[in-house]
Amino acid sequence: ALLFLHPIIVNLNMDSKADMKREKKDEESGGNPYAKLDVTAVLQECRAFNETPINARKCSIILTKLFHLVQQGDNIGRTEATEAFFGVTKLWQSKDATLRRLVYLAVKVLSTISDDVIIVTSSLTKDMTGKEDAYRAPAIRALCLITDAAMLQTIERYMKQAIVDRNPAVSSAALVSSIHLMKKAGDVVRRWANEVQEAASAEGHMVQLHALALLYQIRSNDRLAVNKLVQKFAKGGMRSPFALCYLIRIAKQLIEEDDQADSAFFQFIDSCLRHKSEMVVYEAASAIVSLPNTSPSELAPAISVLQLFCSSPKPALRFAAVRTLNKVSVKHPQAVTSCNVDLEKLITDSNRSIATLAITTLLKTGAESSVERLMKQISSFVSEISDEFKIVVVEAIRALIARYPRKHTVMLPFLANMLRNDGGFEYKREIVDTLIAIVEENPDARLAGLAQLCEFIEDCEHPALATKVLHLLGREAPKTANPHAYIRFVYNRVILETTQVRAAAVSALAKIGAQCPQLRPSIEGLLKNCLLDSEDEVRDRATFYLSVLDMAPAIVNSLVLDTLQSSPAALERAAAEYVENEEAHSNKFDLKSVPVCSAPVAKKAKTLLAEEVAPAKEKKTAANATAAAAERLSQIEGLTAGLGPLFKSTLPIPLTDNVNEYTVQCSKHIFANHVILEFEVKNTLNDQLLEQVNVSLEDAEGEWKALRQRPIARLPYGEPSSIFVLLPFPQSGAVQGVLGATLNFKVKDVDPSTGEPESDDTYDDSYVLEEVELCVSDSVQPLGKASFGPAWNALEEEDTVEETFSLANVSSIHEAIKKVCGLLGLAPCERSDIVPEGRNRHVVMMSGVFRGGHEVLAKANVAIDPNDNSIGLNLLIRCSESIIAEILATAIV
Amino acid sequence: MGFFSTLSSIFGVGKKSCNIVVVGLDNAGKSTILNALRSEDTRVSQVVPTVGMTVTTFSGTGVNFSAFDMSGQGKYRNLWDAYYAKAEGIMFVVDSTDRLRLSVARDELWMILDHKDCKKVPLLILSNKSDRPDSLPVGEVSNLLGLDLMRNRPWTIQQTSAINGNGLPHSLEWLSKNIKEYMNGESS
Ligand SMILES: Nc1nc2c(ncn2[C@@H]2O[C@H](COP(=O)(O)OP(=O)(O)OP(=O)(O)O)[C@@H](O)[C@H]2O)c(=O)[nH]1
Ligand SMILES: [Mg+2]
Repeated sequence: ALLFLHPIIVNLNMDSKADMKREKKDEESGGNPYAKLDVTAVLQECRAFNETPINARKCSIILTKLFHLVQQGDNIGRTEATEAFFGVTKLWQSKDATLRRLVYLAVKVLSTISDDVIIVTSSLTKDMTGKEDAYRAPAIRALCLITDAAMLQTIERYMKQAIVDRNPAVSSAALVSSIHLMKKAGDVVRRWANEVQEAASAEGHMVQLHALALLYQIRSNDRLAVNKLVQKFAKGGMRSPFALCYLIRIAKQLIEEDDQADSAFFQFIDSCLRHKSEMVVYEAASAIVSLPNTSPSELAPAISVLQLFCSSPKPALRFAAVRTLNKVSVKHPQAVTSCNVDLEKLITDSNRSIATLAITTLLKTGAESSVERLMKQISSFVSEISDEFKIVVVEAIRALIARYPRKHTVMLPFLANMLRNDGGFEYKREIVDTLIAIVEENPDARLAGLAQLCEFIEDCEHPALATKVLHLLGREAPKTANPHAYIRFVYNRVILETTQVRAAAVSALAKIGAQCPQLRPSIEGLLKNCLLDSEDEVRDRATFYLSVLDMAPAIVNSLVLDTLQSSPAALERAAAEYVENEEAHSNKFDLKSVPVCSAPVAKKAKTLLAEEVAPAKEKKTAANATAAAAERLSQIEGLTAGLGPLFKSTLPIPLTDNVNEYTVQCSKHIFANHVILEFEVKNTLNDQLLEQVNVSLEDAEGEWKALRQRPIARLPYGEPSSIFVLLPFPQSGAVQGVLGATLNFKVKDVDPSTGEPESDDTYDDSYVLEEVELCVSDSVQPLGKASFGPAWNALEEEDTVEETFSLANVSSIHEAIKKVCGLLGLAPCERSDIVPEGRNRHVVMMSGVFRGGHEVLAKANVAIDPNDNSIGLNLLIRCSESIIAEILATAIV
Repeated sequence: MGFFSTLSSIFGVGKKSCNIVVVGLDNAGKSTILNALRSEDTRVSQVVPTVGMTVTTFSGTGVNFSAFDMSGQGKYRNLWDAYYAKAEGIMFVVDSTDRLRLSVARDELWMILDHKDCKKVPLLILSNKSDRPDSLPVGEVSNLLGLDLMRNRPWTIQQTSAINGNGLPHSLEWLSKNIKEYMNGESS
């Protein structure tokens, strides 16, 4: 609502010359005329609303001030707001049009902070159906905001009329308000579908857009209906370019979500490339290039459109085109390269944003030889562009270094320079992250990168970044030839910084000490100094490390170098459960019983390259799947009783096609000795009600048997619900299995419009699902180790399981490593999953935790035979329980 | 507007503006009466129960009225209070056929008159729906409302029908005259 305020504020100020002068003066002194408003004073002024006759101009200014305060987040008490609101209701008697429109805004602005706003319902209804056109649209917006589901029934008739009103502003207001109302009263709004449909073929361009958006909202729960919607309008009937753009977006989403989407959708988007409106053409091109799995011939027309736009005289088009090319440059390097000539022309564009995007696109796709030239070009104006675009530059550099590791000699000084210049937190963080990635991924650049970072923390205003760098130093410094050199940088922080940085510095010192015995005496000396620190956190850490550092290597390893294996939330939950459950008190609290999860740092350890290819949609990771599932399962009465804490939950895997009558997806929830299979079932037929929905499972090997099952009693249309099946892990120790699955249920026919059963008759039906697979990695949580070597050595006494395989169906070392990690369910450590260019042999170190809290470490030696490109794998696995090491080895087939 | 209205009041030309608050139980006919009082071209074709309140303007002899038409439904009656302070006149409408609820109407009326914000402004009571055969005579309504106890303010009770317009012109005249007197008394 507040979006509307700004233009009005401006208008009011322009009303009189005196005001204009004043504003000018304010501007000169850099002041905002509303800067020094006082809430109490403005609320006092609101009394003017009660005067007779009403001074419209005065009241308008007071309202504007009030809006400004609310928008700024000033706190207005409920009593005061209500008083002001009742004052506002009295302004209805004024005939002044400006004031009246501010009154509508006031209703919206005050609606959440005042009581009894419902009192203006009749006034708004009157205005929305009145003769004054200028009042109707804002009255509709205000009315829909204050109304509730019950009241909506009484104004339903007017809303339907407004939706099909001939005045486009009125119709749009009704449509957009209905979109908002979907949240409050979706079922009422759904009843207006016919009117909305009519509005979709109205004259007004905006009306068409809004009608389409609402139609989509109304049907968004129903895939088939959305499909039909797009099919219908794709055939024609949409004249509005705005609506067409929206339709393209829906079609694109349908294609993205469904591998077998109707090919007509793509044809529709493709046909929009030849539309007469540039907006539509651009939208279509940008949709096509961002679609997954497009063939070169599908891509080509879209790319040539963007290429054409690159040389448009309109800056907006050039910007849009180059920005889109930049975004997809990593995904479609070939296609983007074909625009290189056009991009080259843009690197000197007078619009810096366009130039930046052009250069960074070229950097990402261009040849190694052009890097120096482009960097020089961008250096000439990098100080003039905004942080947002500087970040684009940094991202490009990051991608570039991933491709041409040798170029770090050009990039590092450039980054260092950028780091020294002014910029906001986001920007600095991006550079630091990039430098950290370089240090971790590129041994040749380690020294130079660390040197830059050390210089940076000497004078760093962001504690969050300083702690990040200190953490890195604790890990990386010991790997350098001269770790001693870094101690000074770390220790300086202990003397000069804020608490959190000092604490991080203490930890970094201890880590260096733990890995470099020759430095330990001097580090212990420094830690002793920290015992006098003014803050608990710093003193406590120093005390702790001092007493631990001299202990056995295994202890040092687990207490100083390893990080906490569980998320703080999981630890808290487990500790609370332990405290509550008196019976458990005879045993000690076992850290192994806490569900493990990988540290957030390890999760982000993707290079930019990888991230761009998999666009950052909503990132669903197994780690947050587990946390969410634990919460959810524990709320289901008796489901997890006696199973112990949840070890891991997998992401759901579909067992049906998306377009089927019933869709089913399965997640596996792993406990110490049991698996719960959760089948989430959705009924997509609006004329059926399913009852007693259950799953029968069949294991050909006879190993897995369901212990009990929790069926779904009633499954109405469109409301997903879950079946839970509990399986114990087999006595034999097997962890793998393939289970045939069939969905069984009773069907009742129902009236689609009400959902009420037509009769009590039911009939049995069943539905064959895809097989459910249980694999080794289900029992393993990937958990990277910051220092693999010491941990590996600490397990020296255990038997090492060794196996050698020849891998089929993989073509590169990189691919082989990914596959092995995936099959074992282990996380690569110390960035050893990055294979330096041109190597034909590589060792990756992996670690994780097996069900029951047993740490598993593995080394995989992968080699490619240059003669026949066959790939061999030598795998070493260590675990305190040798049986587990053997189970893991069976994962590779 | 401000400047002009001051001028006109000094010279006694033009029209005065005043606020009245229109109250009474739901279904009494408040909104229908106000609709009938408006000029023909601004009337609405259909009156629906009021939710909260609306503002209606119409003119009497020498006075422009802004009428705050309040909803009479139980859940909104507590909102009437907010409008007394500003009112220069009160119009109280009763449904003369609703014998059962006349005592409720009486309680509401006296609650208004006892309210701290309610000044000694003219009070016009309309015994509405007189066109209906079951309508009570105005004397009886007056008795049931306890109007014989009314002191200290100009008041009258008038028999009206919003449907055929009976009694409305006379009521409007009374209100215009008494409000003008009241306002002149205020300003002198
Ligand atoms: N026969 C007859 N019917 C009337 C008269 N005045 C109003 N009505 C009817 O009484 C009903 C209620 O009228 P409204 O004007 O909505 O009543 P109200 O007092 O505004 O009611 P609320 O807004 O709910 O407080 C409507 O159906 C009118 O047509 C009248 O003088 N004679
Ligand atoms: Mg009414």
